[in-house]
Amino acid sequence: MSTYEHGYLIVGCLMLVALVVASTPLLLAACLRPRKPSAIKQATYECGIESKGDSWIQFKAQYYLYALAFVIFDLETIFLIPCAVALNQVGFFAFLEMTVFVGVLLLGLVWEWSKGVLEWR
Amino acid sequence: MLVWTFWISFLGSAAVALLPSHWKSEVRWLALLFAALGLALGLWGWGAYDVEVGGYQLGNGEGVPWIPELGVRFRLGADGFSLPLVILTGVIGVTGVLYSWNIEERVNQFFALYLLLLGGVYGVFLSVDLFLLVVFYEIAIVPKYFLIAIWGSTRKEYGAMKLVLYSFAGGALVLLGLAGIAFAADPAARSFDLERLAATNFSSGFQAWAFPAFFLGFGILAGLWPFHTWAPTGHVAAPTAASMLLAGVVMKLGSYGCLRVAIGLFPGALGATVLGVPGFWRWTITVLAAMNILYGAMVALVQRDFKFVIGYSSVSHMGFVLLGLVTLNLWGLSGALLQMFSHGIVAGLLFAVVGRLVYDRTHTRELDELGGLGRAAPFTASVFIIGGLASMGLPGMSGFFAELLVLIGSWKAFAWVLIPVGIGMIVTVVYTLRTIHLAFFGAAPLVGGDWRGLPPITLPEKAASCFLAAILFLVGLYPTVLLSMMDRASQQFLDRVKQTVPVHLARP
Amino acid sequence: MNLSDLLPLLRFLAPEILLSALALGALLGEAALSRLLGVEKRQNLLGWLALLGLGACLVILGDQAARGETLALGRGAFVASPFNALLKTAATLAVMASVTMGLRAPFVRHVGENYALVLFSLLGMFFLLSAESLLMIFVALELTSLPLYALAASQKGARRSIEGGLKYLLFGGLSAAFLLFGISYVYGMSGQGSLAGLRDWLVAQRTAGGPGFLFLTGVCLMIVGLGFKIAAAPFHLWAPDAYEGAPLPAAAILASASKLAGIVVAARLLLGAFLPVAGNVLGSPLSWHAGWSPAVAALAVASLTVGNLAALAQRNAKRFMAYSSVAHAGNVLVAFLALDASGRPAALAAPAIAYYAVIYALTNAGVFAAIHALAWGARGDDFADFRGAARRAPFPAFFLLIFLLSLAGVPPMAGFFGKLFLFMAALQADATHWGLAWLVAYALAMNVVALGYYLRFARVLWVEPAEDLRPISTPLELRVALVALALLVLGLGVFPSSCLAAFRTMGGVLLLRG
Repeated sequence: MSTYEHGYLIVGCLMLVALVVASTPLLLAACLRPRKPSAIKQATYECGIESKGDSWIQFKAQYYLYALAFVIFDLETIFLIPCAVALNQVGFFAFLEMTVFVGVLLLGLVWEWSKGVLEWR
Repeated sequence: MLVWTFWISFLGSAAVALLPSHWKSEVRWLALLFAALGLALGLWGWGAYDVEVGGYQLGNGEGVPWIPELGVRFRLGADGFSLPLVILTGVIGVTGVLYSWNIEERVNQFFALYLLLLGGVYGVFLSVDLFLLVVFYEIAIVPKYFLIAIWGSTRKEYGAMKLVLYSFAGGALVLLGLAGIAFAADPAARSFDLERLAATNFSSGFQAWAFPAFFLGFGILAGLWPFHTWAPTGHVAAPTAASMLLAGVVMKLGSYGCLRVAIGLFPGALGATVLGVPGFWRWTITVLAAMNILYGAMVALVQRDFKFVIGYSSVSHMGFVLLGLVTLNLWGLSGALLQMFSHGIVAGLLFAVVGRLVYDRTHTRELDELGGLGRAAPFTASVFIIGGLASMGLPGMSGFFAELLVLIGSWKAFAWVLIPVGIGMIVTVVYTLRTIHLAFFGAAPLVGGDWRGLPPITLPEKAASCFLAAILFLVGLYPTVLLSMMDRASQQFLDRVKQTVPVHLARP
Repeated sequence: MNLSDLLPLLRFLAPEILLSALALGALLGEAALSRLLGVEKRQNLLGWLALLGLGACLVILGDQAARGETLALGRGAFVASPFNALLKTAATLAVMASVTMGLRAPFVRHVGENYALVLFSLLGMFFLLSAESLLMIFVALELTSLPLYALAASQKGARRSIEGGLKYLLFGGLSAAFLLFGISYVYGMSGQGSLAGLRDWLVAQRTAGGPGFLFLTGVCLMIVGLGFKIAAAPFHLWAPDAYEGAPLPAAAILASASKLAGIVVAARLLLGAFLPVAGNVLGSPLSWHAGWSPAVAALAVASLTVGNLAALAQRNAKRFMAYSSVAHAGNVLVAFLALDASGRPAALAAPAIAYYAVIYALTNAGVFAAIHALAWGARGDDFADFRGAARRAPFPAFFLLIFLLSLAGVPPMAGFFGKLFLFMAALQADATHWGLAWLVAYALAMNVVALGYYLRFARVLWVEPAEDLRPISTPLELRVALVALALLVLGLGVFPSSCLAAFRTMGGVLLLRG
C-alpha cells in the first residue's frame, strides 16, 4: 500500500470515529429518556412561532429562471477577468475565443428576452 | 445459368408482392410462371451437367469476392448432390403453386413469401461457399413463420414459432461452427469455399467439436430424433403448399447440410474416439437414425389426425437419409441421396392429398370422422394410394430403390441396425394401410354422411397430382435418370473422404 | 496561436461549428418567429432548415472521410479522423430520422427549443466521438445527455413522459457521478488525462508494480458509469421507463445515436486506454485473469439474460425496444472481451464493434420511425394498438418488419452480419483454445430467444386481425426516411465489407495517438 493510499486509510479511520462519537450519545439518549409525546412537542419548530399550514408549498418557477440567468452572468465575469488581465500574454486568439463565448451568452439573453422570461408575471 | 433459379425466385417474390392484392388470378399466374421458370432451369441443368466430369459445374466459376476481410466469396454451382435437390425444389415449387390455387386471402403476400422461401432453398443448394450457404439457410427461416402463422390451421402460431425457433437454434449451432472454421485454418488462407475447406485437414481437436455442432445444427432441420418434434407440429399447422415445401424440401436442406458440411468437411470426426468410444459420433448418429425410423413409424401408427400420420412418416423416412449418410459407402450414400429426392416427392404428394384434396373439402382430418372417401372421391383415393405405396417402398416406385440401397449400405456398415430398421419398415406398411383403410375404405361415418357433394377436384390439382405421381413412377422404373449423377458424386466424395477416414470404419 | 494556424483547423472542426450555429440558429429562429408564425408553420420551417443543415453536415463528414486526413488537438481533446467521421455520419443520419419524425409531432409547443436540444445533443455526440481525453469525454457526455433528459420529458402533457424523463435524469446524474468519481481516481493515480497517455502509463506500470488498487477502483467506477450509458444490465433500470415515457422522436435518439456514442466511448476507454489492465475471461473461471474483463463479462451475461428474457414479457412497443436495447448491449460487450491470453485484442474486435454500433443505430432509428408512422393512427403504442397494422399501413409495417428482422439477426439485413462479426471477433481472440466459446455459445442461444420476441412483435403487425380497418396515411418525408434507412440497413448487409473494410483500415487501433 502506497503512502497515498495510507492517506485514505486515515480518512476512513476518522470517519469511523466520527460515526461512533456522534451516534453514541444519541443512542444513549434514546435509551434513557422518558417518552411523553404531546401535540406541541411533535410540531415543527419554526423560530418559536406557531407553525401554519403544510410545509410542501410551491415556489414560483420564475424565481429559478431569474436565479439561473443571474448565476450565468455572474460566472461569466470569472472567465472574463483573468482573460482581460492577461490579454497581453494570451493574445488575439484568446480575445477571439472570449468574443465567441460572450456572443453565445448574449444570444442566450436575446432568446430569454424574446421568450418573455425576463417579465415578472 | 442454373444460378438464376434463386434470383428468379427472389425477383418473383418482389414482383408478386408489388401486385395489388385483389388481382388474384394475375398473382397466381405470375407465381406459377416464376416457379416454372425455376423448374425449367433445374431441368436444363440436369441436361447440361456433365456426369463424367463430376464436381461443381454450371455455376459462376471461381465466384467473386464478397467479404474479402473474411475470405468469403460469392460462389455458386451444382454437383451430383445438389442438382437432384434443385430439381426437387423446382417440382415441389410448381406443384405447390398449383395446389395453392384456392388461396383467396392476401394472395400476393402468400406467393411472395412462398417464392422467397423457394429462393432461399435454391440458394442453399447452389452455394459453394459455406458462408453463403448459411446466409441462404437463415433467409429461408423467416418466411416459413409467416406462411404458417397466417395461412395455417391447427395451433398454427404455436407450430410456426416452434418450427422457426428450432430452425434458428440449429442455425445458431451452425454459426458457431462457421465462426470456428474462420479461425481454424491459418489466417492467410482463410476461406469458406467448400471445395477448399474439404481439402483442408482440420485438427482432430477442432473436428471433435465442429462436427457435432454442424451435424446437430443441420440435423435439427432434417428431423433428427429427438430434435424432430418441430416437424410434425409444423407440418400439420402449415398450409398445404408450405407443408409440401417443408417436408419435401426444407428437411432435405438439413440432411444436405449434414452431408455437405458436417460429413464433407469433418469426416475424421466420424471415426474419432470420444468418451473412450471409437467412432462415437458414427455410432450415435446410427442409433439416432434408427430411432427416427422406428419411433416415427410407431408414432404414426397411433395418430388420429390424418396429417399427423404423414408428419410422423416424414420423420421416419428422414431416418433412412441420415442412416445412409453415415454408412460412408457407395450404396448407403447414393441411397440416401435418392431417398432425399424420393421422399421429397412422396411427402409433397401425401401432404397435398391430405391438406388440399381431403381437408379443404371435408373440413376434418380426424381419421374417425373420415371413411368411405374412396367412393366419393376416387381420384383422391387413387393418388393417396400411389403415394402411400411409394412411401412403403413398393418395387416400381421411387422409394423402393432408395430404401433398398440404404439397407444394403447399412448391412455392409453395421448389420445389427437392420433389426430396428426392419421393424420400422413393417410398421410403415401397417400404418400406411391402416390410414388408407380408415380414410378411404371403411364405412362412411354416421355424422358426415357418405361424402356426396364434395367439391370436385379442379384442373390444377389434377395436373399437379398426376405430375408428382408420374415422377414417382419414372424414378421408380428408371432410377438411373438421377442415380448416375448421384453415384458419380458419391464416388468422388468417398474417394476423398477415404483418405482421411480409416478404412476399418466400414465396420465400427 | 495565430489566426493563420487556425484556419486549416476549421476544416476539421467544420461539422461541429456548423452544428453549433444550427442549434443557436434554431433558438434565435424561434425567438424571431414565435410571434409571426403559428406552431405548425414554425415546426415545418425550422425542421426543414435543421434537416438541410444536417444534410450539409453529412456532406462535410463525407468529405472528411474521403480525404482520409487526421488531426489531433491538445492531448486527445479533439481528434478528427475518417473513422470518427464515419461514426458521426451514422449518428447524424439517426438524428435526421428523429427530426423527420418530429416535423409533425403534435405535442411540441417550444418548437425551436426542441430542435435546438436535438442539435445540441448531436453536437455532444460529435465531441464524444472525437474525444480521446478523460475530461473531454466527460464534458461531451454531459452535453449529450442534458438535452436528452429534457427531450425525454418534453411531452409535458403526459404523466409518463415526465416520469420517464425524471427517472432518466436521476439515473443519468448518478451515472455521471460514478463516471466522474472514477475519472478522478484514474487521473489522480496516473496523472494522465489523455487516453493514449493512460495506456502508456499503464504499460510502464507493468514493470513498476502495477497501477495500484485505487486506479482499478476508478476503472470499475467508470465501467458502472458507462454501463448506465449503454443500458447494460444491471444498470439498465432507467431504460424501460425512459423509452416508454419519452416521445417517439426522443426515444429514437436515445436508442440509436446516443447508444452509438456510448458504445464507441466505452470501446475507446476499455479497449484503448485500459487495455493493459484488461485481464481475460478465457476458458473456465479458474483460468481467468483479474482486470476489467471479468466485470464486463458479468455485464454481458447479465444484459443478454435480462434483456432477452424480459423482452419476451413486454406488451408495450417502446418498453420492448428498451429491453431489446439491453440485449444488444450484451451482444456488443461480447466483442469487448475479444482479448487473447497476453491481452492483445482480436484484429476484428474494433471494426466489428464500430460496424455493429453503426448498423444498430441505423436500424433502431428505423424501428422508431416505423413505430412512429404506425402510431399515427393508433391509440397508443402498446402491442394491442398495432394489431393488424399491416392491413392499415402496409408501407411502414413492411419496413418495421425489415428493421425488426435486422435486429433479430436475419440475413441479408445488416444485423446478421453485425452479430456475426462480433461473435467471430470473440472467437478470433483465442482461436487456438476457443477460450471465449462459452460466451459466444451463450450469446447465440440468447439470440434464438431474441428471434422469438421480434417475431412476436411482427406477428402482432402481420398475422393478427385488425379491429379497425381505416387506413393510416404516412407522410411523404417519413416514407423517404424509412426507405433511406432500410436501404442502408440492407446495403450494409449485402455489402458488409464496404463498411467493415473502412473501419478496419481506419480503426484497427481505436486511439489515434497510440
